[in-house]
Amino acid sequence: MSIDARPAMRSTGVGTSPRRLGIFARRRTANASAVRARATAGERVLKWGPLAALALLCMFFAWRAERFATVDNLKNVLDQSAVLSIATVGITFVLLLGAIDLSMEGIMSACVMVGALLVMNSRNANDWGLFAVIPVVLVGAAFGLANGLITTRLKVPSFMTTVGMSAVGLGVAQLLFDGDQPRVLDRPLRAWAIGRVFGFTRATLVAVVCIAIGVVIQRHTRLGRYATAIGSAEDIVALSGVNVRRYKALAFALAGAFYSIAAVLLFLKQGTGNDELAVNVNFAAITAAVVGGTLLSGGQGGVLQSIVGVLIVKVLENGLLLLDVQPALQRAVQGVIVVGAVVAATWPLRHRLRVVK
Amino acid sequence: MHSRTMKRLTAGMLLVTMTLAACGSDDGGDAATPSSAASTSAAPATDAPATTGGSETTTAGGDDTTAPAGDACAPEDVVLIGQVRDETNPYEKSWLDGGDEFAASVGLEQKRLTYGDDSTKEQDQIKQELSSGNTSCYVLNILPNTEGDTKPIADAAKEAGAFLVTQWNKPADLAVEDYDRWASHISYDGVESGKLIAETMFHAMGGEGGIVALQGGLATTAAKDRFAGLQEALAANPGIELLDEQTANWSQAEALTVLQTLITKHGDKIKGVWTANDGMALGAMEALDAAGMSDVAVVGIDAVPEAVTAVADGRMTATVSSDGPWQGGVGLAIGYCAAIGEIDIASLTADNRAFYANQTLITADNAADFATPSVDLTEFDCANVFNRVSGPLG
Repeated sequence: MSIDARPAMRSTGVGTSPRRLGIFARRRTANASAVRARATAGERVLKWGPLAALALLCMFFAWRAERFATVDNLKNVLDQSAVLSIATVGITFVLLLGAIDLSMEGIMSACVMVGALLVMNSRNANDWGLFAVIPVVLVGAAFGLANGLITTRLKVPSFMTTVGMSAVGLGVAQLLFDGDQPRVLDRPLRAWAIGRVFGFTRATLVAVVCIAIGVVIQRHTRLGRYATAIGSAEDIVALSGVNVRRYKALAFALAGAFYSIAAVLLFLKQGTGNDELAVNVNFAAITAAVVGGTLLSGGQGGVLQSIVGVLIVKVLENGLLLLDVQPALQRAVQGVIVVGAVVAATWPLRHRLRVVK
Repeated sequence: MHSRTMKRLTAGMLLVTMTLAACGSDDGGDAATPSSAASTSAAPATDAPATTGGSETTTAGGDDTTAPAGDACAPEDVVLIGQVRDETNPYEKSWLDGGDEFAASVGLEQKRLTYGDDSTKEQDQIKQELSSGNTSCYVLNILPNTEGDTKPIADAAKEAGAFLVTQWNKPADLAVEDYDRWASHISYDGVESGKLIAETMFHAMGGEGGIVALQGGLATTAAKDRFAGLQEALAANPGIELLDEQTANWSQAEALTVLQTLITKHGDKIKGVWTANDGMALGAMEALDAAGMSDVAVVGIDAVPEAVTAVADGRMTATVSSDGPWQGGVGLAIGYCAAIGEIDIASLTADNRAFYANQTLITADNAADFATPSVDLTEFDCANVFNRVSGPLG
């Protein structure tokens, strides 16, 4: 359905049998120009609408909130978006499949605790420094792979698999936490999150690198292209000989790896390992992705769209705080604007989203 | 197109919906229990006004006592159960540890239960525990998840004839005296804690300057009371200006973000940060640290180990302790004393049935004493369990 899916489809020989192709076939038949025109217009809105919304939000806050449009504040917003951005890059690959991942909190919590206990900390004698990232990423990827394998091999819906896996992760985190939060004592290591380069926190730069990696994987690897294709038409991709199960499992593993990087930044930033640091991040990431145009129905959007969503969510949070909106109202206003943004973004596509679940 | 995935997703949703629905009807069941319990109870007359009458029914409470010292439990038959949300919370873990120490001191073991912020799970656990065994010798020391959970828990304990002590959460119109084996409800005056730390912070600031406040979840009584304490202190200190008040939902991570934004908003005008719990204080300190604002006073509540360390190190100004190990021990001790007949619940004064307990302000002066949570077992002697009463619930 999406632009990125087509090269992958072509290379696997899909497109030879128009009757089986459904929407792909329609898009390739020049005669069905009306359908195509509407679809592309919708796609354009989906792609650029969120960016326009972000620009509007920024303009509004710059106008109404005194401190919003200062360099310091914008650097803050980017810093505050770093962890969520990386996590959202990860979940984007799962959402592209048309699957869902609710295990982010569990995976991140487990990774936070593993990481915080491996670096120099107040609980034990470990001092792995930057090398601690390796086991943490392995833990994250292993959790993700477990999600993927259980979903694809045992045919458990990703919704249930990942809810379960989240509980497993939280359990592991709680065991490691053991009621005493380890303080991260390695200052130079913490500089990876809170140190500044040209006034931006290094966390911001790490996030930018992760986003770039995400974009490359999405656009230039089989994993990324198949993920989009599977989300658009899994049965067709399977018929064309792609090992769908393998790529689905890999997408989950990749997501887990991204969560683990986010977790590393999170505990370095906070300076402690706490099993509750990652609370609410899962729904924030899903919200951000959907607001940005990576729809839950799969096959739509991508890493960059999701990141626009992250910025919308974070700008909104920051702006409302600066605006002196009553604290109790802020959350409600955020919710209304988020739902409104999704409705607006998907409006031109609603005829194509035939079934909404 | 991707119907299989969708079917899976739908199946998942359905399952969850069904589970939720089941929980819903469970709650319904709970709500129904009081009335059925009331009609079968030995003294139905006292139950009728209980839901609305509140403390006016105290005089009738005595009639309810069907278990005087005569059929007291043998000490070795007593079963001790402590239940909190989460052992990952250092405070709640220290609570259960205190319970263990008490249990060991009377030659018993405490059953440690946790329900992870899940009200339904909390109630199910209690019902499960009370479904078998000689429940009339069971002693429950419970931290109800929310105020709404307290009545169903009290009703379940009543039906099983178990001894109950609850802490922190209880709706004002639910009277302990209406239950013959609900020995006590212990709480802490949030207004007092909020005020204590505010005054300490104002003193550290030299009585003037701007502060920001990070509140807890706005719907909770604790958040409201603690903030009311801050406001009382503000009223008495005209030199202090409240620049901003925001909520960080008790969360360390959220506090860091919120304060980061507030620092851009108010800059160097911030001389003090008042937070409604230590988790947020720790997050706030990270934000201040990152901004290079090391001379800002930070205060919190709860005395989690890391905050106590920070106070001892001088990085944080003050926190307040409710003394988790004491709470975990004393709740079981009150129930145990009642079960073995050393305490006659019916003759306890109103101040001992529902009371605020003393809390301790922790500053650099005394932080070292609190570094390792510990209990004084003599405080759990039946004669001493009410020594920390500071006053009736207000």
